[in-house]
Amino acid sequence: MPWLDALVQGILLGGLYAQYALGMALMFGVMRIVNITHGDLMILLALIGISLASSFMLGPWSVLVILVALGATIGLLLQRFILNRVVGEDALPSLIATFGLSIALQNAMLQIWSADTRSLGSGDIVQQSIQIGPLFVGVLPVIVLLTATVLTAGLATAIRYTRFGRALRAASADVEAAEMTGVNPKSIYAGAAALAVGILGFAAVFQSMRATVSPADGPFQLIYAFEAVIIGGMGSIWGALFGAMVLGISQSIGFRINPGFGILAGHLVFLIVLALRPQGLLGKD
Amino acid sequence: MSTALLSTQGLVARYGDFQALYGVDFEVHAGEIVALIGANGAGKSTLLKSLMGLLRVAPDMVRLDGRPVGGSQPHRMVASGVAIVPEGRRLFAGMSVADNLRVAMDCAAPARGGGWSLDRVYALFPILQEKQAVPVQLLSGGQQQMVAIGRALLNQPRLLLCDEVSLGLAPKVVREIYQSIPLISQNGTAVVLVEQDVGLAQSASNRLYCMLEGRVTLTGRSGELSREAIGEAYFGASHAVA
Repeated sequence: MPWLDALVQGILLGGLYAQYALGMALMFGVMRIVNITHGDLMILLALIGISLASSFMLGPWSVLVILVALGATIGLLLQRFILNRVVGEDALPSLIATFGLSIALQNAMLQIWSADTRSLGSGDIVQQSIQIGPLFVGVLPVIVLLTATVLTAGLATAIRYTRFGRALRAASADVEAAEMTGVNPKSIYAGAAALAVGILGFAAVFQSMRATVSPADGPFQLIYAFEAVIIGGMGSIWGALFGAMVLGISQSIGFRINPGFGILAGHLVFLIVLALRPQGLLGKD
Repeated sequence: MSTALLSTQGLVARYGDFQALYGVDFEVHAGEIVALIGANGAGKSTLLKSLMGLLRVAPDMVRLDGRPVGGSQPHRMVASGVAIVPEGRRLFAGMSVADNLRVAMDCAAPARGGGWSLDRVYALFPILQEKQAVPVQLLSGGQQQMVAIGRALLNQPRLLLCDEVSLGLAPKVVREIYQSIPLISQNGTAVVLVEQDVGLAQSASNRLYCMLEGRVTLTGRSGELSREAIGEAYFGASHAVA
């Protein structure tokens, strides 16, 4: 039974990781932009949310709405003023630009919020759980998982069926041909970055409700997002959710084996997938 | 005399330090089919790239309806009614035939009376309707070329630029594709055909330009140009001497 519990807890943890991974799947998987600030932006949004909640007595759901809007705006500006200048065949310029930005962001956050860990006061919902047979399942993790699933379905549908999605797929298949067909890739990329960072608004709220955040936490979330996208398969939106589940389950089972082994277990599973199926579990070629 | 739909005056283009076009004067009028011939490296594709905004050129070197548009971004050229069937087709791999066509519909120039629709493209190339759900990389070369032409038509062009549409295709398929050209220009759409096959270019066009080493060496009505004149313009004077 503890193994079943570990599996269920892993799936629920995967719901949180999926919310980091979705934006990464869009930017890294589809647009081939390496955004090292991905985790730091999530932490930035979380810290802003925590400060807003305590200054204006806002509940977590109001904070969620503000952070998603704020995240989308940040994503749009980031793409428009920084990433659109470095986007191209070569992933290195975007890596270097965002690596520098990541360090600057972490230090700026340290200056503003200090190194203290903080969390979002969220009332009873954190303690509530429901009993399913012999298992106790937290209400909040279930909400997180449902949200992640709805976000994945929404994003996958948008990419498959909308005008924006078609233009994004066209630009990632052959950017010059897309331009010759009338697509303005820079505005499409800016829209995609707005979506990617907007989704981090959800992750920021749930992360700071479930656990704590501090200015230096970003790189860990970044690694989880990269791992989930690569496990699931580059360019696959459902793959990001699936990869996040695999990562969550690996960590959760690892924790049961030995509390010090959890995070490492996730990394090991990632390395095994990379060695045996580098295109990812749901990747096509 | 009416203004040309699109014209270039003294068009100069370079790839870095390498100059590819040396003062090209070129014009197309509405409804015309113009062929552009020349050997490999003569500058035909470079000329199309300059018209489409893929190479940086000075604004007044390219005029559309008399307005300077040289160096405009490609998506702006599409919006003002210039579409291209690129060399090598450049379809969106991984996307279905219908999705490839829809990208062009999403970004089309404002349609004029009797604009192109999916149904009209399918009527022009019936095989595409059958294959509409198939990913484009699984189609034959000729079918891919039809998708590329259909995609450009759904941009609702007033001017269609075709870069080597016959390249690498079987003669029967080339005939099939060239049969569609008059149907396209019936609407008043001007067509520029870049072609290596001189006979084909001459028979399919109203007017013809021949290029050599980045310059226009011959121009005139396709039916009135002799094979000798074209041969000399195509290979240059040195060939005539040798």
